[in-house]
Amino acid sequence: MIILHASADKGALLLWGETASSASGVRRRQKTVPVSPTNAGAARVASALAEVVPQVALHDSPIETRILWLPSVQTQPIPSSPLVGPPPEGKTPPTLMPWNITALRLSAQQAVDLLSACVGRDTLGPGLVIGISLAYWVHVLRFAGALTAREQFLPALRADGEGYRACWQPVWSGGDDPCLRQLADLMPPACRAFGTADAPPDLSALAAVTAVVENLVDALVRSAVALPASAALMEPAAVSRARRVVRKASAFASIHDAWLHALRSADGRLSGDAAAARQLAEQIQAWQRPVLLTTAAPFRLCFRLEEPPDNDDATEADIAAPGDWYVRYLLQGREDPSLLLPVADAWAPKGRIAALLRKSAFEAREYLLTALGQAAGLCPAVEASLKSAAPGGYHTDASGAHAFLTETAWLLEQAGFGVLLPSWWMRGGTRQRLTVRANVKSSAMSGGSGMSLEEIVHFDWQVALGDQLLSLRELETLARLKAPLVRVRGQWVQVSAEEIRAALDLWKKKGENQATVRQLVRLALGADDGPAGLEVHGVQADGWIGELLEHLDGKAAFAELAAPTGFHGTLRPYQTRGYSWLAFLRRWGFGACLADDMGLGKTIQTLALLQREREAGERRPALLVCPTSVVGNWKKEAERFTPALSVLVHHGAERLKGTGFVKKAKDHALVLSSYALLHRDRAILEKVDWSGVILDEAQNIKNPETKQSQAARALRADYRIALTGTPVENHVGDLWSIGEFLNPGFLGTRADFRRRFFIPIQANRDPEAAARLKRLTGPFLLRRLKTDKSIIADLPDKLEMKVFCNLTREQASLYAAVVDEASRAIDEAEGIQRKGLVLGTLMKLKQVCNHPAHFLGDHSPLPGRSGKLARLTEMLEEVLETGDRALIFTQFTDMGDLLQRYLQETFGRQVLYLHGGVSAKQRQRMVERFQNDPQGPRLFLLSLKAGGTGLNLTAAQHVFHFDRWWNPAVENQATDRAFRIGQTRNVQVHKFLCIGTLEEKIDEMIERKKEVASRVVGAGEGWLTELSNDQLKELFALRQEAIGD
Amino acid sequence: MWYREFFPRSRPRAVRGGIKAQSKRGTFGQNWWAQRWIAVLESFNIGARLGRGRSYARNGQVLSIDVTEGKVKAQVQGSRPKPYAVTIAVTQLSAKQWNEVVQALAQQALFTAKLLAGEMPQDIEQVFQDIGLSLFPQKSDDLVTDCSCPDWSNPCKHVAAVYYLLGEEFDRDPFLLFRLRGLGRDELLQRLSRAAPPSPQPSSEQGLQESAREQTGPLPVEPAVFWASAALPDDAFGNVSPPPVSGAWLRRLGGFPFWRGETRLQDALGPVYEAASARGLQAFLGERPEDTQSNDRRTSPR
Repeated sequence: MIILHASADKGALLLWGETASSASGVRRRQKTVPVSPTNAGAARVASALAEVVPQVALHDSPIETRILWLPSVQTQPIPSSPLVGPPPEGKTPPTLMPWNITALRLSAQQAVDLLSACVGRDTLGPGLVIGISLAYWVHVLRFAGALTAREQFLPALRADGEGYRACWQPVWSGGDDPCLRQLADLMPPACRAFGTADAPPDLSALAAVTAVVENLVDALVRSAVALPASAALMEPAAVSRARRVVRKASAFASIHDAWLHALRSADGRLSGDAAAARQLAEQIQAWQRPVLLTTAAPFRLCFRLEEPPDNDDATEADIAAPGDWYVRYLLQGREDPSLLLPVADAWAPKGRIAALLRKSAFEAREYLLTALGQAAGLCPAVEASLKSAAPGGYHTDASGAHAFLTETAWLLEQAGFGVLLPSWWMRGGTRQRLTVRANVKSSAMSGGSGMSLEEIVHFDWQVALGDQLLSLRELETLARLKAPLVRVRGQWVQVSAEEIRAALDLWKKKGENQATVRQLVRLALGADDGPAGLEVHGVQADGWIGELLEHLDGKAAFAELAAPTGFHGTLRPYQTRGYSWLAFLRRWGFGACLADDMGLGKTIQTLALLQREREAGERRPALLVCPTSVVGNWKKEAERFTPALSVLVHHGAERLKGTGFVKKAKDHALVLSSYALLHRDRAILEKVDWSGVILDEAQNIKNPETKQSQAARALRADYRIALTGTPVENHVGDLWSIGEFLNPGFLGTRADFRRRFFIPIQANRDPEAAARLKRLTGPFLLRRLKTDKSIIADLPDKLEMKVFCNLTREQASLYAAVVDEASRAIDEAEGIQRKGLVLGTLMKLKQVCNHPAHFLGDHSPLPGRSGKLARLTEMLEEVLETGDRALIFTQFTDMGDLLQRYLQETFGRQVLYLHGGVSAKQRQRMVERFQNDPQGPRLFLLSLKAGGTGLNLTAAQHVFHFDRWWNPAVENQATDRAFRIGQTRNVQVHKFLCIGTLEEKIDEMIERKKEVASRVVGAGEGWLTELSNDQLKELFALRQEAIGD
Repeated sequence: MWYREFFPRSRPRAVRGGIKAQSKRGTFGQNWWAQRWIAVLESFNIGARLGRGRSYARNGQVLSIDVTEGKVKAQVQGSRPKPYAVTIAVTQLSAKQWNEVVQALAQQALFTAKLLAGEMPQDIEQVFQDIGLSLFPQKSDDLVTDCSCPDWSNPCKHVAAVYYLLGEEFDRDPFLLFRLRGLGRDELLQRLSRAAPPSPQPSSEQGLQESAREQTGPLPVEPAVFWASAALPDDAFGNVSPPPVSGAWLRRLGGFPFWRGETRLQDALGPVYEAASARGLQAFLGERPEDTQSNDRRTSPR
C-alpha cells in the first residue's frame, strides 16, 4: 500500500509515496536528518505507477532526495491516513520535524497527465491510493483547465537560471483571482512541506498554487499546439529529431521567430543572444502593459445593462418594445464585488467616493481612461459615449440592448471587464422564448393492433410564449415591432425576425404537416427542434397517442399488470410497478434502464418480464449479459422464480461455438453470457435473432469506445433493457453510451451529446440543459431508492438475500483435491478422529470457497482468483457509490485480514476490522467512528465471534456474510448488530455462498427443514459430523455447475 | 524624367531577421493616421523609389529603428556590405504649443481613452488645426531626411522603407507620433490626466503582488490540519465556456512593437488560442485528449 503525495517545489510538483512504517523507531542524532521510515521511495513509486498510468512515462523522471517537514512524535512521522498506520498512542504533542525522502520530479506535462488520470478516483490501482495532497492538485489542474478554456492566458518570456524561456502565462482578471485565493486557502499544508535541514518550509500557499497553476496552464497550451509531435515522442528517433529542430534555433530569421517557435516547443527554451532576449522581454512587457495596468487595479470597470422603466399601462400595451435602455459604467471593487460606484461620480470624485478611492490609492481617472479606451475597441457604442468629458454610460434601443446581451457582454467579460445583466437573461437567451407545440388531430384508430410508432398522423403547429398560446394578431404585432427584445405581458422575450417569420408560416400551413408517431415522441421529449429551430414545447394529442405520450411523460400511471402465471414468487407493489413499466416500454419497442437501488429486486422484475413475453407467445430467446461473477446468480434466480424458462449458460471454456451455439440458443428462452464474451463471441451472438437484449450492471458499457460497448450496440433485438444499481443520472458523461444502446439516435451523436448536454451541464452547470436531458431520458429511466417513502412501506425491515457465486478454475481444482483426500481418509477414520477429519475438511472447503490464498495461507496475490471476492468487491463498490455503509462478517480471522488489506487497497479507503485481538478501547473508537463520523470509514469488517454480541452498528444499511456459519441463530445474531427495533430504515442482508459446493448444499438442507434445522443444528456445526460417510461424500462432492469461468 | 534609373539597378543584400512589414501587398498601415503619415511621404514625388522602399520594408531590409523625441534613426541593408544609416528628423512643437494641445485634448475623455487604447482619435487633426498647429509634418521644413547611401535623391528608397515601417508602427502605437513631435507617452498622459502620477510600472506591480503572496506562516503541526483540505464548492471555478469569439486578450492588446517575425503575431497565435481552449476544457472535465479526439471540433494547430 502506497499513499501518493505531491508537494510543490516552486512551480514543479514532486511526487512521493508514503507507506507503512518500516522501523519501529528512528534514533535522531543531531545535525543529520534521518530517512523517513514511512518513505515508499521514488523508485518503488515509479515502478508501481508505470503499470497503471503508463502514459505518464515516469521511468526517466529525475529522482531527488528532499527534506520534508512532517508532524511527528519523537521517532516517527504521523501517518496521513490510517491506511498506512495507526495514529500515535500516548499524549506526546506532535511537532514538525524534518525527514529525508526520495521524490520524483514531474515535468509540467507529466503533472497534467498524472493529475488527469486521478480525476474522480480514490486510487490509481490496487494499493496505490491518491493521497489528500495529490487530490488537491487535481482541483488545481481543473482550475488551470478552466483558465485555459476561457483563454485567460498570454504568451510571455521568463528569465531563469539557464537563460530565457518562452511560456504561456495566465492572466489574473475578474473572478479568477479570488478563485486562486480560495484554492490557496484550501491547500493542505502537506502540499508545501519541503524545507531544508535547518529551516522549515517557507513557501506560502498562494505562492505555491500560483506557480503550479502557471506551469500547468503553460503545459496545457503547449500540449494543445504540439499534439502532432507528442504522438511521435514515443519513438526515440523522433525525439532526437525534435531536439535537432530546437538546436537549429539560431537559424531563426529574427528573435520574434525564435520566440514563436519556443512558445510551441517542448521546453520553451529561447535560443539567441542574451541581449536580444532581454530586449524582447522588455518589448513583451511593454506590449502587455495595458493588461497589467487594468488587472492590478483595486477596481475594475463594469458594465450594467438597465432595462427601460416599467411605466407602461399594463392593459394598454400587452406587447411593446420600449427603447430606452441604458448601459451604465461602474467601478467594481475587486476585493468586494458588491461595491459598485457609478463611473459618472468617479471622474471628479467627492465625499464618500473620493475617500474610498483615496483609501485604495486608486488613480481612477487614468484607469478609467485606459479601460474605457480598450473597451471602446470592443464596443462602438462605448466609443461614442467617450465624446463627453465625463462619460457615465450610454443610452441604447432594443436592438442595441440585444446586441449588448448577445455579443458585447461576452467580449467585454472575456477581456476582463465586469458585466451585469438583468436576471431574466440566462445563458444566451431570455427565460421566455417563442415555442411551438404540435397539435395532433384525433387519430382515426383507437386501440387495436394498428397502434404503432410507425403510423403516420396529421398535426398542426401552434405558437406559444411560455404557457400561453399566441394569436395570429399577436404574432403580427411582434412582426411589426421588428425588435429583438420585446416586453410581452410584462416579461422580456427575445425574438428573432426569422423565428417570427417561421411562426407566421406555420399559421399559413395549417393542416399540412404529417409525421410518424415515433417522430412525434421525439418532438415531445425534446430530442428534435421544431421548424426554424423553434423549441418544441409539448405535443398535444388525444386517443392512444395522447395516452402514450402521457405515460412516457409520467403524467399518467400505467395499468398495473398481474404477475405472469408461470412466475413463482410474489412481486412487491413497487416491483409490480417496475415490471409493468418494463412491459409498457417493451410493448412500444423502447429501451428501458431499470436503475433501482441494490437489493430492490431488479432481477425478479426482469425475470417477470421474460416470463410474460414467453406466455405471450415469444419463441425467440432473450440474451442477458452480465459480469462473470453474477452468471451463476442469474441462473439460480431464474430456476427459482421462473422455472419454466429454459436457460442456456454461454460461458466458460466448454461453451458452444459457431452454428452449434446459434441452434442451441434458439431452443432456450434465455441465454446468459458475460461482458468478456460479448466482444469475443460477437460474431455468433450477432447471428441470433434475439427477442431482447438485457445488460446487467450496464455501467460496464459506460465507455462507448470499448469493444464490448460496440458489440452491445450491434446486437439485433426487439427490445433492450439495461440494469444498474449505480446512480447513472449522476454521471452525465456515461449516459450517452447506455442511452445509445437502449434507444439509438435519441441522444444524438456522441459529439452532439457532448455539446448539448455534457459540456453545458458539467462545465457550465446549466440547469436548463440538465432539465432537457432529464426530459429526454426520464421516460426510459426508472430509479427507486430504498429510502423512498413508498418503497420503505413495501419492504420488510430486514431483507435477506442469497448471493450465489461461482468458483474459479483454481478454486475448483483445490476443492476437488481436498474432497479427494478426505474421501479416502474418511473410510478409515473413526470416533473422535473422524469427527476431527470432518470438521477439518469442512473448514478447508470453506477456505477454498473463500479464496485460494485463504486456504493456502501463502500471501499470494488476491485479484481474479475468487468468485466471492469479485462479487463482494462489485457490490461494495455500489454501496460506496450510493453513500451507504456496510458490515462484512467472516468467521475466519485470517480471511478478515486478507479482506481488510484487499478492500483498502482496492478502494483506497480505510476499512475497520474488529476481531478478537482488538482492545475494548479501540473497539469503542471504531464503533464510534462508524456510527457517528460522517467522514468516517464506511466499511466495517467483523469476525463473527468478536462482532457477534454487544455492539450497536445501526449506521449500516447492508450486512454481508462472506462465509456461512451453519447455524442460523449465530448469523441472525450478527445481522442484528445492524438492526434495531424502531430503526427507520431497512437493512439488506447478503449471504454469500458458492454454487455447487457444500455451502449451497448445506443451505438447501437448512432451507428444506428450517424448523428442524434450528433444533438439530444447536450451537455449532457439530451436527454435520453425525452424517454418514455416504452422506458426507455426497455433501462434499463438487457439482459441475460450480465453475464460473 | 530622364534621370530615372541613372544608376544601374542594384540588388540589396539579403537580410534575415530584419523588421518586416506586416502588410504583404497594397497600402501600408491600416488606420487613417498611418495612412495620413504615409501620404506625407508619397507627396514628395520620388517615383519608383516609393515602390522599392515598400519592397525593402516588406523584405526586411530595415535592421533597426530607434525613435526618440524629434528624431528617428535606422539602419537599412542595401547592396553594400555596410548598412546605410538613415535619419528622419521631425520639427518638435514648443512647450507652449504642447500646452495648448493638451488643453484642447482634455475637453473630451475620448481623446485620452483612445490614445491609451492605442488608437488615434479621429478628430485629433481638427484639434490641432483649431489652434493653428499640425500633428503630421506638413511643410518640407517639418521633415528632414538623410541617408548615407550614394543615391542623391532625398528621400531615397531607404528612407522610404523606414518611413513605411514607421507608418505601420503608428498603427499600433499612436504615441510614437507624439514622441516624434516632442512629447513622450508618459508625459502626455500625465499632462492629460492633470498631473496624475505616471502609470505603475509592470515591475513594481509584480513586486506588489509578490509581496502579498509571500506571506508565510509556520505550517500547522496538528495532523488533522496538516493532512486535510476543506471541500471545494462545486461551482468554484465558475462558468467554464470556451469563448464564442477567440483571442479577446490578443485583440485587446493589439499588435506587437516592431514585429519582425515571418508570420503576423495574431496569425501565429490565433490558432493556438482555439486549440488550447479545447484542451483546457478537456482538462477541466477530466478527459484525456484521446477521449474526445475522434469526434471533436479540433482546430489544426498550424
